[in-house]
Formats: sequence, C-alpha cells, structure tokens
Amino acid sequence: MTITRREIIKAGLAAGTALSMPTILRAQTPDDARTVRWVASNVFVFDPIISVTAGYHAYQIYDTLFALDSKGMPQPQMVGKWSLSEDKKTYTFQLREGLTFHDGSPVTAADCVASIRRWSQVDSGGKLIMAIVKDISKENEKTFTITLNEPLPLLIPLLASSGGYYLAIMREKDATLPPTEQVTANIGSGPFKFNNALANPGVSFTYDRNEQYIPRQEPADGYAGGKVAKVDRVVWRVISDQQTAVAALQAGEVDFLATPPSDLYPLIESDPNLALENVNESGRVMFVSMNFLQSPFDNAKARQAMLHLIDQEAIMLAAGFNPKYFRPVKSIFGNSTPYSNDENTGWYKKGGDPEKAKQLFQEAGYTDEKVVILQSTDWPTASKAAEYLAFTLRKIGVNAELAPSDWGGVAKRRANKGPIEDGGWNIYVNDWTDAELDNPISVPLFRANGADAFFGWPKNDQYEVLRAKWVKIETLQERKALAREMQSLAWDFVSNVMLGQYFEPIARRKSLTGLVHFHAAYWPMWNMQKASA
Amino acid sequence: MSAYILRRLVSAIAVMAMVGAFVFLLLRLAPGDPAAIIAGRNATAEIIANIREQLGLNAPLPVQFIHWVRQMLGGDFGISIFSGRPVLELISQRLEPTISLAILTMMFSVSVGVSFGVVAAWRSGRLVDRLLAAFSALGYSVPVFVVGYFLVYFLAIRTHWLPVQGYVQINQGLGLWFVHLILPTLALSLGFIAFIARVTRASMLEVISEDYIRTAAAKGASSYSILFHHALKNAGVPILTVIGISFAYLIGGVVLTETVFNIPGIGRLVVDAINNRDYPIIQSVLILTSGLYVLINLAVDLAYSLIDPRIRY
Repeated sequence: MTITRREIIKAGLAAGTALSMPTILRAQTPDDARTVRWVASNVFVFDPIISVTAGYHAYQIYDTLFALDSKGMPQPQMVGKWSLSEDKKTYTFQLREGLTFHDGSPVTAADCVASIRRWSQVDSGGKLIMAIVKDISKENEKTFTITLNEPLPLLIPLLASSGGYYLAIMREKDATLPPTEQVTANIGSGPFKFNNALANPGVSFTYDRNEQYIPRQEPADGYAGGKVAKVDRVVWRVISDQQTAVAALQAGEVDFLATPPSDLYPLIESDPNLALENVNESGRVMFVSMNFLQSPFDNAKARQAMLHLIDQEAIMLAAGFNPKYFRPVKSIFGNSTPYSNDENTGWYKKGGDPEKAKQLFQEAGYTDEKVVILQSTDWPTASKAAEYLAFTLRKIGVNAELAPSDWGGVAKRRANKGPIEDGGWNIYVNDWTDAELDNPISVPLFRANGADAFFGWPKNDQYEVLRAKWVKIETLQERKALAREMQSLAWDFVSNVMLGQYFEPIARRKSLTGLVHFHAAYWPMWNMQKASA
Repeated sequence: MSAYILRRLVSAIAVMAMVGAFVFLLLRLAPGDPAAIIAGRNATAEIIANIREQLGLNAPLPVQFIHWVRQMLGGDFGISIFSGRPVLELISQRLEPTISLAILTMMFSVSVGVSFGVVAAWRSGRLVDRLLAAFSALGYSVPVFVVGYFLVYFLAIRTHWLPVQGYVQINQGLGLWFVHLILPTLALSLGFIAFIARVTRASMLEVISEDYIRTAAAKGASSYSILFHHALKNAGVPILTVIGISFAYLIGGVVLTETVFNIPGIGRLVVDAINNRDYPIIQSVLILTSGLYVLINLAVDLAYSLIDPRIRY
C-alpha cells in the first residue's frame, strides 16, 4: 500500500479540524455572552441557617428584608415601607409589591415571620431580639409587626446584618423546619434561581436569572439597592486545583475566579485579558485565639506577651499574603467598621517586641511547659502562620509544638477544654470578616463570658457589663465611645491577638464588568455583565 | 468453572463486608467532626452540638454501626451528610468520567505500551531498545501533575488546541467528550505505557528464546507473524495481569489527574468526602471499589484461559 502526499495533507487537515473543535464550539455557543462561568469553592451546605458557609450560595437566591449598603448602613430591600411606634417598641413592616418565590407563590408576611423565627434560633442577634420580643405576627398578607418589651435601637441593623447567619426569607413551609434540619428546596425570591436539575455537588451549580424578580429602583450599592440580574445564567464551577483554575481563566474557559492564589497575582496582572479586583473592600482579619483554661494562657501576663511578640507584617508575609493586600490591625473592631479605634494600643510595635514578650512570659511564671499550636494543614495561610508563630515562640524560649491536622481535626480539637495531656490545646489561628467586627452582640468572637464564649473561652466580667450596654445605646457617637471603653479593657485581658487584615482580590476576564463591591463575605452575582467574546 | 466463579463472587461479598466494617471504624476513630465542618469556622460550640445531634453522631458507635449495616443490607447507601443527596446518585454522577478516563487510558496505554515492549524485545540491546528503556524510566519517574501542567501549557494555553480542564458528558457530544479527555489521557498514560512496555519486553524476551520461535523463523515466518502471532500470545499472561491491575487502579479513581484536569471522577469525590468527613460517601465508594477490584481480577483470571488453553478452572 502506498500513501500519497495528497492523502497525508488531507489527514493533517482533518486532524487539525478535530483538534480545534472545542474552540469552534465555544465560539458558536449562542448565549455565551449571557452566561458567566464562575469559579468558587464547593457548595456543600445549601441552607444559610445550618451553616454560614452556605451564604455564598444562598445570597444569590434568597432575598432579605433589609440589606447593608457599601457603607455598612442598613437599607430596605424586600421591605417597601416600615415604621416605628412612638414608644419605640413596635415595628411595622410592609413588603414591596410583586415579590414572588421561584415556584411562583407570592412572598407573604407569614413567610417573613416564619423566617425570622427560624433565623433567631441560631443567630446571636436574632436571639437577642427574641429575648425581648413580645410578639411577631402578620397584620395582613403584606404586613407584619415586631413588638418588643423594651426598645431595641439595633433591631434594623440586626435584621440587615450580612454577617454570620443572615436573615434569608424562605417560604413558610421551609422556614418552619427546625434550624438543624437542612432546607434543600433552594426556593427563594432573589434575583437568581437555583437550577436543581443541573446541580452536581463538587462539580458545578447553575443559577438562572429570575425573570419575575422586581429589583428596587435605586442603583446597586453593596448588598442594597437594585439587584439587577444582567446575565441569563451563572455556572458556578468547582475547580479544586488553583493552578488549573488560573489556566482556565487565561484560556477563556471561565470568567471569574473568586480566590486566586496570591503567588499567581503577578501572572494574572501580566495577562492583558485578565484583571485583579478587590471587591470585598473590608477583607478578613486573621487572629490567634488562646485557651484561657490552660497554662500558660490562663495568666493574663502570658496573653499580653503574645500581644507584644507578634510582628504582624512578618507573620502575614510568612503566611503567604501579598504585601499589597494586607495591613496591620490594632482594634478589636477591625479596620473597616465605624467603631475601629486606637484605644490602649501602645503594645503595637512594627517588628514586635520579643524582649518584652519574654519578660512577660517570665512574669507569668512560665516554666517550659508545652504550648500546643493547632495547625490546619489544608488552610495554607493559617498553616504557615501557625508555623511562623511556633518559630517566634521558640526564639524566646517557649516550648512550642505544632499539632498538624486538616481543618476537620482542628475544629474538633479546639472544642476540647481539657489539658494538653487529654488532647487539649493552647493556641489556634482563625479568621473573621473584618466588616462583621461592628457587632459585639451577634459576633461570638466579642464574648468574654467564659464557658459561653468562643473557643478559648475568655472571661472578663467588667468587659461583659460594657458589652451588655451596646444594645441599649441609640446613637453612633455613644456606641463609638463605648467601643473605646471595651477595647481598653480587651487589650488588657487579651482575648485574642490580631495577626493582620488581608484582602483577597478576585480575578476576572476583562470582558466581565460591573461587579458589586461590598463590605462582607459573599460575592453577589447581580449587576455584572459580560461583553461579547 | 461456574463453581470457581461462584466462589470468587462470594469472596467479593466477604471482602466488601470486611472493607465496610474496617472503614466504618477507622473513620469514626479518626480525628475530625463533620458537624464542625458543616457549621463553619466561626460557628459556636452550641451550634455544632445541635448539628451533631441532628446527624445522629452522638449515638454510641455500636448503634451507629448496626443502623448502617441495616441500611446497607436493604440496598440503601445513605444520604450525603453535606449535600443531603443520595450517595448512590452522587456516585453515579462520578462514574462516567472515571470509566471514560480509565477506558481511554487503557486503550492508549495498552496499544502503545505493548507495541513498545514487543519492539524493545525484538531489538534487544540495540539503540531502539535503549531509547525505549530511557522513555520508560522517564514515564515512571515524572509525576503526572508535571506532565499535566506541561501539556496544559503547550496544548491548551499557548495554542488553544484543547481545553484546559473539565469534563463533558458523552451524551452532550462525542467530539466534545473526546477532546476534553485527550490531555488527561495523555498525562495519565505515560506511566502506564512505561509499566506495560517493561513487562511486555521482559515477558517477550523469555518467549522469543524458545525453540518453537526458532522453528517458526526457520520455516520462513515473517517477523510480524513471529512476534505478534506466536510470541505475544504466549507472553500474554503476565501482560494481562498488569493490564487488569492497572484498570482496577484507574477505576478506583486517579486523584491527581482528576484534580489537575478538573475531572469530576470518583477519586475527587472520595477526597472531598474525606476532607469533609462525609462518612456515607467514603464508606459506600470504598465498598463498591473493593467489589470492583475483585470482579476485575476475576475477569482477568478468566481471560487467562482464553489466551492460554492450558489454564483451566
């Protein structure tokens, strides 16, 4: 058999056509410009009342009564009009016209009442409301009231809060489920509908534009304003390997990357088709919690030593953060909240003060006992921060020992209040959304009530008296003054030690524009649009 | 033979039961708490305790075990702790990518690996043999993720010839399905080609020194006929064993390749489930893959008698 040159050329052309097929098919997809391919972490819980991690998914499909604007101020969202009685105890809320759930049923006052009741069983702010509530009931199909036994100036901010367990309005039949039983119907009244038929956990989730949604007339402003879905579909893909995700972005297979790795920022910045954009303008605060129940951190001197020891810049660099995207934090109220202040921050020193720390450990009576640092190996930045912390402690003579495991292991062990011999711990690294540090009532990190406090169980009765005052105060100025008083005490008894505030810019193709900027945790899908390829 | 097959099937059930019991205990004794992972990093102890209660994780271990065994005996693989979806549904979603990748990889690896092995044996000690030996050493030693990123850079990012990542189901178009699997198949095949080529070469070298091969050559049989009709068939048993083991390995999920090319296969399902402590998924997948292992080995054993009539069961 002989093969002619012409046959070889034909075979080559056929092979070339076959190899270029994906590119051709991509270009021929009719709604490509109306579909955003979005890469974010896996959605493994769908109900925002079961887990705060569900918020990333839930924020797209469940609407809210109120929402925080880009300045962190609450604005009506589903609520059209609201009023407060003269005695400041009864709030009346009227829903906007035309709100419907994705199954076509209208949103009613009964849905809102049931949703508030369910939310208030898990959220600290909701619990606070329920502690003084006299009645929550519907007046008619579109109106409901909250009647309190005493005034609560924080009620609207609590209903609007996007931190922690946010108040997602669900159908009454979903919202009457216990807060420990997951709602998986995924039927909200928000600007996007969850496409259940295309859901493939661990792989991809699809969100379709809710054509029935009536956005507010105001422009989008943080989570407030008009939530206009400008694309028909958002396909949320899970790409577990970051390098692959960036390669897919470069190749134009995806449009948006929620958390590109910081070591690839230069690569992204050098690509003319890509951009980094810091949409979450408040970022997150990384911190260290210490165990108040075990030696040496049962002694305030040892905790103060940690405050002096930490060199925030060095530890954030060691953790792998890009210097353009982190800054030090000196306030327990973070950097971006109205209550951020500089009260009692004399401990802060660029480079830290290891000598002072060493002296304080000695004053605390530290005698070479083991200091166990929980290290979450599947959370790279926290893992490296823990390593650097151990290194820093060893340099001043502290017998620091890392206890590596994945986050699942850390999460279980941090609940152990026992001594080290019984599987206890001394230090672990965690983080929190900076913008949420404006609420010492809802955010458990602010608690210093011992056994009921967050992991580490800090205790300070004087501070708790001040914290209890927070809900009674009506004006911003008064709350700012109280924030200073609280911080003054907090940096003396030292419940946590700040490591730094960091920002995680998203990466996008330049054809994707209009991303909403915000001060919280969740990336909104509304308002963005895509230019034709 | 039917008695032999029955015995092997019974042993498969026994193996699956032992794997199930072992995995159940191992998971419960390992550190980690699915309730804490569901609740998120900033959840309080009270919230975590409520979720744990709801999931039934507070029940004594023997009670949990008996409940699970009853479920399994009724053919119920349970519900994923995290997604709330039936485990069998999640597994079935992941089977197609895994089987597709396994079949393509084996087809490519066997055709290339066996050919390389035969040629290397035929030209033993010569330049071709040495080049193939070097290729095999490279195939063994270069990690799949290095090959993967290399292929992605040159064949996807630079040239846009092939997609970087992802999987398209076969019912969405044969062409799209195939092009999405070219890079992962190439990356994964390198090691298997090297492995199969070395085993084939060794096996062929033993056979081609036999008298009947010399007789065939003396009778004027062509090199092709000697190598592929006379020698390869008799060298086939160890090669078939290697192919069987490799295929069973591939069906169990190849996590690195699935991760680099974002293929939603069984391997990634298990790794995600392990990270989340999603017990029902981990238990079910491991039981099913252990059963598959036994069945594939059985199929390989039965295939021996097809290529070597002297083998009888």
